[in-house]
Amino acid sequence: MIKNKIIIIVFSLFFTCFFSYYSYSVEPDEILNNKEQETRARNISKNIRCLVCQNQSIDESNAPLAKDLRILIRDKIKSGKKDEEIYNFLRDRYGDFIFLKPTLSQNTFLLWFLPFIFLAIGLIIIFFNNKKSKN
Amino acid sequence: MKNRLIIIPLIFFLLIILTFFYLLIIERNPSEIPSNLINKEAPYFKAESLFKDKEFISSEHFGNEVILVNFFATWCKPCLDEHEFIKGFSNKKKIKIIGINYKDNPKKTIKWLKKLGNPYSNIPLDKNGRIAIEWGVYGIPETYLINSKGFIKYRHVGPITKKIYKKINLLIDEIK
Repeated sequence: MIKNKIIIIVFSLFFTCFFSYYSYSVEPDEILNNKEQETRARNISKNIRCLVCQNQSIDESNAPLAKDLRILIRDKIKSGKKDEEIYNFLRDRYGDFIFLKPTLSQNTFLLWFLPFIFLAIGLIIIFFNNKKSKN
Repeated sequence: MKNRLIIIPLIFFLLIILTFFYLLIIERNPSEIPSNLINKEAPYFKAESLFKDKEFISSEHFGNEVILVNFFATWCKPCLDEHEFIKGFSNKKKIKIIGINYKDNPKKTIKWLKKLGNPYSNIPLDKNGRIAIEWGVYGIPETYLINSKGFIKYRHVGPITKKIYKKINLLIDEIK
């Protein structure tokens, strides 16, 4: 009996922790009736950083600004704006930092390619070192 | 050759340490996001005005003189803290200040300004926070300095302190 109870507690704790990771902050009154438009809004929101919490997307954040941005995105979708136009609108106002995943640009070139450059340098050093020791 | 191979990663390591050390000692707030609107034209907006019957249209105000734009609300404690400095800009510098009232209750704002003094020449109401988004605001109070051509020259996030007050004063003299 006690064993069963422990199993139930462990399982409920596991599921609470597991599903809380996937919790979203979209409130019922924000959700669009058109399912396709709502999916687009959710996808955009997942890529947009909450500038108040800075480490969450606006889809997960409870901050008032995140809610305002979610509503704004839905309004723009309803008015016929394309995803690209919405991303550009946000970038123009908040810069590249608004995107959770850094975009590839002149400023972020090193961020994206420095690991590969270092890897290449390392491989070249190893290659020449091996060649020398063989000789 | 072997010695040289050891030196290269050591130099890289020292460079990384120096970079981090430099970032630690310089005065900066890592959570502060630089404005993307610096040297760009102040965003256009229309809004209901608090004390005036006429609607506030930004293009009628920006582009003629140096203007300070301050996003504030009565529910925001740091806005109360910086209010003395905002009054200072209005009284000592004789500069035009537009106070954008962010998601607030107009009645409370009128009371608040009557009690503390009104340094603003016009108070457009940002009822749903859309004007703030247009300006790239992410936490009030935020203050913007607009030059006489209508371009944003400076943005400060957070309350104005003595140090920032002096800095903005110098900037006003510079761009006037």
